[in-house]
Amino acid sequence: MSEEQQSVSNEAGENIEIWTDLVNLKDLIVAMVITAITTLGAYFVAPNVEPLPMLFGLVGALVGFAISAILIKPKRQFKETEHEEEA
Amino acid sequence: MDMMLMLQMVLAAFAGTIIYTIVGIAPGTDETAVLAPVTLVLVLTGLEPIVILTFFMAAIIAKKLTDSIPIAVAGIPGGVMAAPMVEHAIVLKEHGKPELAMRKMASGSVIGTLVAIPVSLLLAHFLMRYSDFIASYANELFFAGAVILALMSKQRWIALASILPFAILIQGLRHLYWGLGVIPEGKDVFVSFFLGITIGPVIITLFELLNSKIRKSLPRYSEKTIRSAKNSKYRGLPNPFRILTTQELSLSTIASCVGAILFIMSPVGITILLGELVSSFVKDPIKKSTLAISSMDALTNATYISGTLIPLIAIGIPLSPVALGPANALFNAPPVLTLEHNLHHILSMSDFIWATMIGAVTAILLTYFIVIKYAERICLFVFKKVPHEAMLGLFFGLVILLAFIDAGWINIAGVLLIGLVAGFMHRLGVNYGVQFMILYAAPWIVQMIAM
Repeated sequence: MSEEQQSVSNEAGENIEIWTDLVNLKDLIVAMVITAITTLGAYFVAPNVEPLPMLFGLVGALVGFAISAILIKPKRQFKETEHEEEA
Repeated sequence: MDMMLMLQMVLAAFAGTIIYTIVGIAPGTDETAVLAPVTLVLVLTGLEPIVILTFFMAAIIAKKLTDSIPIAVAGIPGGVMAAPMVEHAIVLKEHGKPELAMRKMASGSVIGTLVAIPVSLLLAHFLMRYSDFIASYANELFFAGAVILALMSKQRWIALASILPFAILIQGLRHLYWGLGVIPEGKDVFVSFFLGITIGPVIITLFELLNSKIRKSLPRYSEKTIRSAKNSKYRGLPNPFRILTTQELSLSTIASCVGAILFIMSPVGITILLGELVSSFVKDPIKKSTLAISSMDALTNATYISGTLIPLIAIGIPLSPVALGPANALFNAPPVLTLEHNLHHILSMSDFIWATMIGAVTAILLTYFIVIKYAERICLFVFKKVPHEAMLGLFFGLVILLAFIDAGWINIAGVLLIGLVAGFMHRLGVNYGVQFMILYAAPWIVQMIAM
């Protein structure tokens, strides 16, 4: 991947790279704990009739994802550049 | 066909399309990691198999359409299979034409789908007469598959050397659970091990972070700067046959046919080969890039569709990298689907055609239109609103859930162990294909060496 296209600024940062994108360690732990709790929590409160526990678990995971997405800010910056219209 | 079922299929196609249009854009989303767990959960919830297949087809087609967007806009692949296209797409970005890259890729993707579906159905139809014969050697084929994939990979010796130890780890855990009475003897633990392998690279990184020395020595970054071009709108109705030139159309068609026939090979490998081939006979940098990315996208899409459909329709055992990875749950998701009772056995040829058509048409109509019209806006939205932490958290939550369902609390640690070893092997160069083949072949391998 060319350095110019995807410059990652190196100075005085907090973030580390996992699976091709940057994360903040504390934020990652927060997201993992939240999602684990909502997922297992939903699974255990579900009525014990198949397939409800699994379905509750999945919804719990999505709820955890949504909460994390609201609480945590992505580690990406944007610079818009002008370019010419395609002829 | 029953109207209610048809309605469910259409709804599933819409759901798959919308979810994976967004997921496809999120950077670093490995195809297996994002498709396999969700499909698994859907199978385990007991939805109609034909509805799940419709969902899956819509999902992969939408995902393959959109994972080229972040490449064009930001030079980041939206998935592992999109990675080989980066260098060509970047040329267009440097020439200030990211939206051209996007349109060419998305159009190539559509061609790949249109070609791959009929070719796959025909090939599957032809292979079907051998299905009983092939299926009766499933164990041997998985073992042979692991050896062949190992030999074809870049780090072939380490891949080969890891087959036996990894098989023993997998069977060892199963026997431990049986011995402890956590699960009844003979009950398979598969789904959670599969996911453990998938997120192995993340698990090993997380463990490393617990080591203060490694943690301190890791490179630190502030934020990833993504340069994006200002929005430019496409006028008129998007049409792949007008967006692609005759040369691009013909090469995309040929590449899709070849990709569909070579469904058993790794899509990434063939894509890289194609890129090099194109580079050797076109000189103009922009023409070279548009030709390369459109045909590469057609090819990856075609291998995806054929790698799913052919083994599923013709054989019923996952004998392609795609079937082993993202599409795995359609073959094996115990207790609902097993190798002896999966979509291959449940659905008829016309079921397969219906599910594929509804999935494909929905995904192409919705996503292709959206990509051509609003790609940059969606891309910026996803990049700004979806933190990588939340994605990783979601995988983690799903893995814990499925580990617990498979074999209780002890299996959460068991899956971590599998992930740790798999992640380490991954770093040494043992790719997913080899690891998944070992997972399938493990019972047979261990039985053979225990004699």
